[in-house]
Amino acid sequence: MNTAAQPQLELRGVTKRFGGVGAVDDVTFQVEKGEILGVIGPNGAGKTTLLNCISGVHRVDGGDIRWEGRSIAGLPPHRIARLGIGRTFQIVRPFGSMTVRENAAVGALFGSSAARRGLKEAFEVADQVLQLVGLKAKADHPVSALTIPDRKRLEVARAVATRPQLLLLDEVMAGLNNVEIDEALEMVRAVHATGVTVLLIEHVMRVIVGICRRAIVLDFGHVLAEGEPEVVLRDERVIKAYLGERYAKRLRGERGQDSAS
Amino acid sequence: MIATAGSQRRWRRIFLVVGAIVAAYALLAPLSSLDAAQSAGIPLLTDKFWFRIATYVVMFVVLATAWNIIGGITGYAAFGNVAFFGIGAYTTGMLIAKAKWPFLVALPLAPILAALFAALVGLPLLRLRGHYFAVASLGVGVAVGELVQNIDYNGQPVFGGASGLFLPIYAVGHRGLFFFYLMCGAAAVAIAVTWWVLRSRFGYGLIAIRENEDAAAVIGVNTTAYKVAAFALAAALTGLAGGIFSQWNVFINQDNTFPIEYNVQMILMALLGGTGTVFGPAAGAVLLQLLIQFLGGSLPISFDLPFVSSEARPIVARGVIDFFGGRTRLSLSYLRRSLRDTSL
Repeated sequence: MNTAAQPQLELRGVTKRFGGVGAVDDVTFQVEKGEILGVIGPNGAGKTTLLNCISGVHRVDGGDIRWEGRSIAGLPPHRIARLGIGRTFQIVRPFGSMTVRENAAVGALFGSSAARRGLKEAFEVADQVLQLVGLKAKADHPVSALTIPDRKRLEVARAVATRPQLLLLDEVMAGLNNVEIDEALEMVRAVHATGVTVLLIEHVMRVIVGICRRAIVLDFGHVLAEGEPEVVLRDERVIKAYLGERYAKRLRGERGQDSAS
Repeated sequence: MIATAGSQRRWRRIFLVVGAIVAAYALLAPLSSLDAAQSAGIPLLTDKFWFRIATYVVMFVVLATAWNIIGGITGYAAFGNVAFFGIGAYTTGMLIAKAKWPFLVALPLAPILAALFAALVGLPLLRLRGHYFAVASLGVGVAVGELVQNIDYNGQPVFGGASGLFLPIYAVGHRGLFFFYLMCGAAAVAIAVTWWVLRSRFGYGLIAIRENEDAAAVIGVNTTAYKVAAFALAAALTGLAGGIFSQWNVFINQDNTFPIEYNVQMILMALLGGTGTVFGPAAGAVLLQLLIQFLGGSLPISFDLPFVSSEARPIVARGVIDFFGGRTRLSLSYLRRSLRDTSL
């Protein structure tokens, strides 16, 4: 098999049902090594469920997930984490009784690398990662003293400390203001620059357009569109999914006038 | 938050100093000639009765410290740890009484069997979370006690049945002293294990599970293996205390090796002293067990609290337990309610 052509992560017809509802239904796409891939879609489209399937939090009901050519569907979350897939949670889940530095260190203590790190090295890794995400100054603060944007940073820091090759980010920009989003974008770029592939779930279109070269649109568990963010966002089906049929028609009318004039 | 860290450290230091003094006194008092201590009027630990109280106190140090590993550090509120105590007691008891093993050879099997049992029931049980785990573990604790009493083979009770199990008395110079020190050894092991856990990769994994199990799993913590290991470790220490208890007490039955109230007591002690810490559960065990002995009126010497008549003792006891259990603030309305309930 030609390893150069092999995608880092490949989803083939992944399906996850909750009762009769197909939260993720026959989703197929690939993630290339080193890219930043955006996943967008209206509320309830199945974005987070998809992430849960990849990271092993949910067991898939159908289809296959392949990591570097090997099937990882059905593996428990810790095994997937050790293979080099890190993730954050949309609703941050810090280890509340620990300091910022300890949170990151626990990520480094476990995580992907096969070589076991001792406590001392783990804390060294933690310091490097906190520097990267911009939390260095607050390393010894308890988690409860952090603001929401800082908690999101910590969520990313802990995932990065596991030294993943692929990082799954679940709406790390949600709830942030414009300035904070710019800072968070910088953070994601910095993490990406260390050689990590990033799969990014996001509602904020500015983020998707800003850092993704490719985006996938999910709607009702299906892949609706795939391609360059600017193109995808102008796709009529995508607009319909987000804003409804009437708005899509109106927009089509306006565009028609634009091209006529 | 940062300010309290300093005061926490100060309190910890105070507790350590006081604890060290109490521990040193408890350990050294009996060593200085017993008669000399008696004539000097030092009451503590010099007669048999006090050895019994002191050994009970130290036994609960082991139980509370062991519970802390699964309940405090891992965050799984185990309500059935007394099962491991009983299994430890019956393992050692059976080996001595039926198989005629010497005590010190039979003792190491108590923690081993208790840990094996914990691993076995832990695999399904630890899939439950929160109250579900608490209730299920309580069920296991009760069930094991019932099984031990009621298992028959050819019409004969296998484990002594309702009449219990008698062990030969262990021949050693000063029995009270011997078992007190042995229990102290178990307590030292339990505290040392906790100290090591809290400074290890294993311990960080357990705390991560306590704080958020899903987050722990996705950073690579094998949550099932870690939880079962913590459960088995707690069981081993609890079983060790049970093993010592059986030879110390010479007689074991369902009532004295599977008492349901031990489950609650060890949890209260750990909560009182501070869950998740190294010395907290030990300090809580000493405080609460002494209190239980005093207020329960189990002492032969009259230990009436000043200004408290013996009739009012249950009220004080209840107040103390409610207060430390975090169920109430001490107030006038609480006192009134308490008086009414005890119908004085």
